[in-house]
Amino acid sequence: MERDNHQGEAQGVHISEPPSESSLPADTLVTSLSLLGNHMFPDAGEKQEEINSTADKEEPAELQQSDVALKEHSVAEPHSNQLKRLETEEAETSVDLNNVSTQSTDREKEDTAMDNDQSDSGEFVVTMLAKAKLEEQGIGVKGRSSPLLEAGTQESPAFMSHRDEDVTAESWRQHRKHVFVLSEAGKPIYSRYGSEEALSSTMGVMMALVSFVQSGDNIIRSVYSEEHTVVFLQKGPLVLVCVSSSRQSEEQLRGELLYVYYQIVSMLTQASISRIFEHKKNYDLRRLLAGSEKILDGLLNLVDSDPSFLLAAVHCLPLACSLRDSLSQILQKAITPNLVFSILIAKNQLLTIVQEKTVIEDTRLEPADVHLLLNLIGASSAFQAGEIWTPICLPLFNPDCYFYAYISYLDPPECTVCLLLLSTDKEAFYAVAECKRKIEEAMAAQNSLSLIAKAQSYSVSQVGVSDLRHFMYKPFDVPDNYRQLTQFTSPEMEAPYTSEEEKMRLLDLYRFMHSRIHSTSRPLKLIYHVAERETLLAWVTSKFELYTCFSPLVTKACAITAITKLLRWIKKEEDRLFIRYPPKYSTTPNPSKSSRGGKSDQQDTTDNGYLSLL
Amino acid sequence: MSTRKASLTDQHTKNGTSKYVLERCASINEYYDIAFKVMLLGDSAVGKTCVLVRFKDGAFLGGNFIATVGIDFRNKVVDVDNLKVKLQIWDTAGQERFRSVTHAYYRDAQALLLLYDISNKPSFDNIRAWLTEIHEYAQKDVVIMLLGNKSDMAAERVVKTEEGEKLAKEYGVPFMETSAKTGVNVELAFLAIAKELKHRATQQPNEPKFQIHDYIESQKHKSGCCGL
Repeated sequence: MERDNHQGEAQGVHISEPPSESSLPADTLVTSLSLLGNHMFPDAGEKQEEINSTADKEEPAELQQSDVALKEHSVAEPHSNQLKRLETEEAETSVDLNNVSTQSTDREKEDTAMDNDQSDSGEFVVTMLAKAKLEEQGIGVKGRSSPLLEAGTQESPAFMSHRDEDVTAESWRQHRKHVFVLSEAGKPIYSRYGSEEALSSTMGVMMALVSFVQSGDNIIRSVYSEEHTVVFLQKGPLVLVCVSSSRQSEEQLRGELLYVYYQIVSMLTQASISRIFEHKKNYDLRRLLAGSEKILDGLLNLVDSDPSFLLAAVHCLPLACSLRDSLSQILQKAITPNLVFSILIAKNQLLTIVQEKTVIEDTRLEPADVHLLLNLIGASSAFQAGEIWTPICLPLFNPDCYFYAYISYLDPPECTVCLLLLSTDKEAFYAVAECKRKIEEAMAAQNSLSLIAKAQSYSVSQVGVSDLRHFMYKPFDVPDNYRQLTQFTSPEMEAPYTSEEEKMRLLDLYRFMHSRIHSTSRPLKLIYHVAERETLLAWVTSKFELYTCFSPLVTKACAITAITKLLRWIKKEEDRLFIRYPPKYSTTPNPSKSSRGGKSDQQDTTDNGYLSLL
Repeated sequence: MSTRKASLTDQHTKNGTSKYVLERCASINEYYDIAFKVMLLGDSAVGKTCVLVRFKDGAFLGGNFIATVGIDFRNKVVDVDNLKVKLQIWDTAGQERFRSVTHAYYRDAQALLLLYDISNKPSFDNIRAWLTEIHEYAQKDVVIMLLGNKSDMAAERVVKTEEGEKLAKEYGVPFMETSAKTGVNVELAFLAIAKELKHRATQQPNEPKFQIHDYIESQKHKSGCCGL
């Protein structure tokens, strides 16, 4: 079975021109790569030297000689073979939890061992890419992430903007995850760290890579080096690049780039972006995105620290069912024509969401759209006294039209409870603001704010399983699932995961488990993973996806009993943990005015006047 | 109080200017007699939000620049000649991508504060373009005031006070330099607007017209370097 798999991969790598042609372009690509390498990883050589000095000496040769590169590939292969075999066994035997309990006990050692020697499986593929073997696929299963060193320090100099960073400094290169956005003309649009101007040559090289591969009717997907994974994503006229040392899977990194793309679309709409670049290929999109760098920065920080993005599900604040219902009813009563979503948020988590009936019949609200909204609120909440009215596109709902979002905090000056009302009508501010007054009055009458203030996330100790430290549970079987927003529940991170570093370490473990479960080549149903300082168990069924973290000394039998208990507890608490039956209202007298495909939307995208600015 | 408010309402319905007066005031907010909408305009990063926060909360938002998203609506009630005047202030995002939503609310504003940054020449050069936009979208009788903000940044100044004065004269709008950081002239700008609007709304036929230019000139001298 693994043979087949490798042939498949080899084919994937081989989509390219006949060998005779490939030598010349390969040189060009090598030059581009080394240019990029010079800037991005000038230290790569040294690092390699520390670990394996011979490899270092060989590197320049490998880049140019295809036979050496092939050898390099075959060296990497036995190792990944081994991994594949392991995974296969796990996948085949572990579908049923009961079976595993007996069979997988002895495998736990293997799993641990595997993790240890994965650290040197990172290096390869640059050479393969140099051979112009395109359409890369991440073959090596990335090992456990190393504890995050940089995330903690990154927050401390809060007053120094990342824009001002010296892009030639070592500290710039040390960032765990870089994200760049550029236009097809190679113009810089965004960089997570450092100013775009200073990075224009680097981005130029990135674009050179992309277009070189494109000229061979192919698409560059990723480049692997020992320390970094470089992932490319092309969306319309935009190119997004992630350079990560986080050991996340390529798919996960690409998913994160997609969030960045969606956030840009949420500000400009896809239609506007393509129209702008159709008219003027070398347009500087930063002109239109000016001021939104904070929103993108905030998004990337959230992506790193909030598992909602990984799970593609929303996290709602646990709330007594009766309170959630009464809040929903308040929102349901405060309506005005063209209001489509009413969302109540506390502590950055959903309290309740009411949706317009006819709108939601056409399409459902995707978690990603909610994430973008929550990020927008978080990123623009520096001074929260006012009432904000802003155009916003929900890219998964409809990438080409704007909604108008009314954002206001209900509990100034604390500003923890936020009301978000989305309308399709640009002119509706006063009507929507009036809805807020109604909501405010009703909430005051029911004393809702003080009840909300008492609501908080829960402790894992409430589950009553001693070895269980943390979990994330994402159900698929919520009632009315078709219209339902995918949700997940998770307790607070408690000791030992209290420091930023430890939190990130746990998230990295979850990301690793997630990448194994969702591996494109070998998806798994169940993983029991003994790590250095904890034991994790991830399990996906048709009804739920579950990630659990136990103390390191837990036995397999214990973990399984614990999960049974946990599932029982969640079942018992689900009315409190989830929005069970998302309420609806009807505000669009004329369904054609609904945001989906109506003529009025077309106007919305065209009358933004961007074209006149070109 | 309520009788006075009622009489005001009547009077303005007769004058056809009832739009200046809200029929009721929100129970949660402070009591007020009369309400006006004011909009802050100008390029991105000239200090619109800072000027507003200085006026509203008496604080300065130092440190990081945070761009306003869309338009941001806030209220402040001020006393003008013993009348409670509620200023409903639209703080707008200077970025181009928010223009369409800003345009939709121009016509509701009775007064516009147009800002540039004295340490940023392009923001001053763009004032003409802003005034063209204002003439296109705003009410014909809108009160406009030109403000050169960041007057505390003497070392970085690239737009002379005289240049601002000259431009303001050309368009016949009142002008002053403000500093959200020190507070110089910030309150004066809003109070002058409030006085002008209040006089317009309540003016009796025999009463002399309020001279906003003269008022500003007289107050500006008094203000000195520490604000009002």
